[in-house]
Amino acid sequence: MKRLILILNLVLIATMVIGACSKPTTEVGSPEAPAPTEAVATEEPAATEAPATGKVKVTIFVGMGTGTDPDQIDAQMVLQDKFNSTHDNIEVEFLIVPHEEAGTRFLAMVSGGTAPELVGPNGVETSATYFDVWADITPYIEAENFDTSDFYGPAVELNTYPDKNTGLPLGLYPSFIFYNKDLFDAAGLPYPTHDFNDKTWNMDKLREYAMLLTLDENYNNATSPDFDPTKIVQWGYDDSWEGMRGALGMWGAENIGRPTISDYKTAVANSPEWVYGLNWISNGIWNDHFIQDAAAQADRDAIANDPFGFGAIAMFYSYTWFFAEGLVELPFEYDIAPFPYNQKGERISRIDADNFTISAGSANQDAAWEVMKWLTDPEQIIDVCLIYGCVPARKSVADEFRTVLEERWPGLDYDVVFNSIDYLDNPNHESYIPDWSRIEEALNNSLSLIYTGENKDAQNVLDQVNTEIQTILDEYWAGQ
Amino acid sequence: MKKTPRKQLSMSKREALYGYLFISPWLIGFILFTIGPMLASLYFSFTDYNVVDSPTWVGLANYSKIFSGVPEAIRTLSSEPLGDPLFWKSLQVTLYFAMLALPLGLIVSFFLALLLNQKIPGVNLWRTVYFLPSVIAGVAVTILWVRIFSPRVGILNPILEKFGIQGPGWLSSPDWAVPALVIMSLWGIGGGMIIYLAGLQGVPTDLYDASKVDGANLVQRFRFVTLPMMTPVIFYELVLSLIATFQYFTEAYVASGGTGGPVRSTLFYNLYLYQNAFKYFDMGYASTMAWILFVIVLLLTLLVFRSSEYWVHYEGQLRGRG
Repeated sequence: MKRLILILNLVLIATMVIGACSKPTTEVGSPEAPAPTEAVATEEPAATEAPATGKVKVTIFVGMGTGTDPDQIDAQMVLQDKFNSTHDNIEVEFLIVPHEEAGTRFLAMVSGGTAPELVGPNGVETSATYFDVWADITPYIEAENFDTSDFYGPAVELNTYPDKNTGLPLGLYPSFIFYNKDLFDAAGLPYPTHDFNDKTWNMDKLREYAMLLTLDENYNNATSPDFDPTKIVQWGYDDSWEGMRGALGMWGAENIGRPTISDYKTAVANSPEWVYGLNWISNGIWNDHFIQDAAAQADRDAIANDPFGFGAIAMFYSYTWFFAEGLVELPFEYDIAPFPYNQKGERISRIDADNFTISAGSANQDAAWEVMKWLTDPEQIIDVCLIYGCVPARKSVADEFRTVLEERWPGLDYDVVFNSIDYLDNPNHESYIPDWSRIEEALNNSLSLIYTGENKDAQNVLDQVNTEIQTILDEYWAGQ
Repeated sequence: MKKTPRKQLSMSKREALYGYLFISPWLIGFILFTIGPMLASLYFSFTDYNVVDSPTWVGLANYSKIFSGVPEAIRTLSSEPLGDPLFWKSLQVTLYFAMLALPLGLIVSFFLALLLNQKIPGVNLWRTVYFLPSVIAGVAVTILWVRIFSPRVGILNPILEKFGIQGPGWLSSPDWAVPALVIMSLWGIGGGMIIYLAGLQGVPTDLYDASKVDGANLVQRFRFVTLPMMTPVIFYELVLSLIATFQYFTEAYVASGGTGGPVRSTLFYNLYLYQNAFKYFDMGYASTMAWILFVIVLLLTLLVFRSSEYWVHYEGQLRGRG
């Protein structure tokens, strides 16, 4: 009897352990690849192995950026069915992962040898963060003599690095000034010009307007001797959703939004233009008071979803992705205007951009390239971009897409949207640099020194962060 | 043929075997999912590992990055950044928080337990009220407190203003962010309070009776009866709180948006470790930090254990002196 109990116990324990350690059943959208193949990251297109069904599987990993809302998931399933019903040799499957865990899940798949073939939509930041993981699509472009002329030229350049092209452009998010017309009317000010050739609309003019639009609780504006900066109820300008690179890229430095020179080894975060720009921001917060400091931003964020919807910021610098997020039942009239010219007489208008990338370690890179072309094809790109909220990167569909935008968000000047693309920042403010995240953290920490008032000296702040960045770069290259 | 009699296990060995059998699922899990990953992280701490590529052995390079310059800095009493400045910054922030939160948490929860150990109407309701916050998830509580600490639209600064106090920026101020988190940590003292309450109710009443007979007043009874009898519980709470303080992460992550700001004032040790692992993909360095934290907490815990012989009194010891 005792022996029987012992045996039963052993069987029970063994069952529990085996059950805990066994492979989970395959779910829809599982990242498991078919028969394992050697995933070798080479510059040549990898050979594709067709499984027994005859169709090569391409997993599209979604979650690094947008694409995880229920509506988007449904729309992506429709896209999946459309592709699969029109292609005999390739089968796509969307693997949609919550954004918060997308990064770690993707890395786990890559390190486990089951890298998804396509990843996206990726912003420039995501492409830069995981730069080493992406395949170079240059061989595909050259092998087919693929025509990229229909894409906006600068958009193609955003994905092109010295040793790699990370993907075909999918969509763009140009930036411009969102302005509150009611506040301008109350101040008796003309709206910012929509004329892209009007060079009087520059940062000095923006500052002038912003100060007139900044009011204390007694309605004195920031130019008034009676203005009380401790009792501000309305601010003229905000760009607080942007990091250091984006905030300073507009000021015309040689490397625009990149804190290194083109060798990626020398830090130039303290260039004269960046110092000028950071000084402009510091003065805007602490001397002219038309920009909120960190404490005021904390108050604003506690009661409003965004700076523009807050209703007490006259001009907000943001992108087309803000349409869906921020232009929802606003209780005031608004429009958009071009970003002003900088102190050098140049206009540099930030851009965010999305693409799909091919994982260098994935099994079916050839098939992934075919899917990438299909997603960015003029026939599909509008549908794809409507899912993700971006402006298609193809010039040939601009008019058609504009009609869609006008239906969804009527009353805006869409010339501003499409013309702003011509002034995008390149090198982009999110573009690749070695140890991207660490340098980004150092820069944004420095920006917070300005916003909190811990250090209002722009030159000093940028000199310190430049030293820090140089140390990071030196360590990075020493380990290569 | 004559069978060889089976050798029987002794009773104690049989009992031990059954015991191990029953705990074997947990034991196997512990080995596979705790000891195994710990040993793996020890190995990774000697490598350059970015998750994507295989680990590359670098020996003591990760440790050297942290401790390089320490001997020279000690020798010259230099205040220049040592090795990795952010490592030392994160340790400094964590120690600063620990110095404030640890004693405050212990003292406040102890005195709360003293109050709730009284026989007053509705005491069970009060005990429930004070305990409830400790079971609410950290993220939700932190979001709530971020709103409370909002400089102008939160509720804290307007209350302070009524007393003529100009409230600071709290979580948006580098000087006040950690004190704000300390205040936030007091929200969860209910757990400690319950432990103290149980300890207080375990103090033999005959000791109080005897002290009253000897003419001891309230303060004397607290000092010479309650406090000594509670030292084992205080010791237990101190050890657990010490470990928990050095593992502080969730509140700092949520309150600062994962940045450790403003201006790295909330860059706690575990937050910086997390950033190295999951933001910078430097798993080797993050593993190094994990093991250094283990050693620090181990040394501090051993220190507390060694000191306990001087201030922790067990009931048997006390009665034996009588």
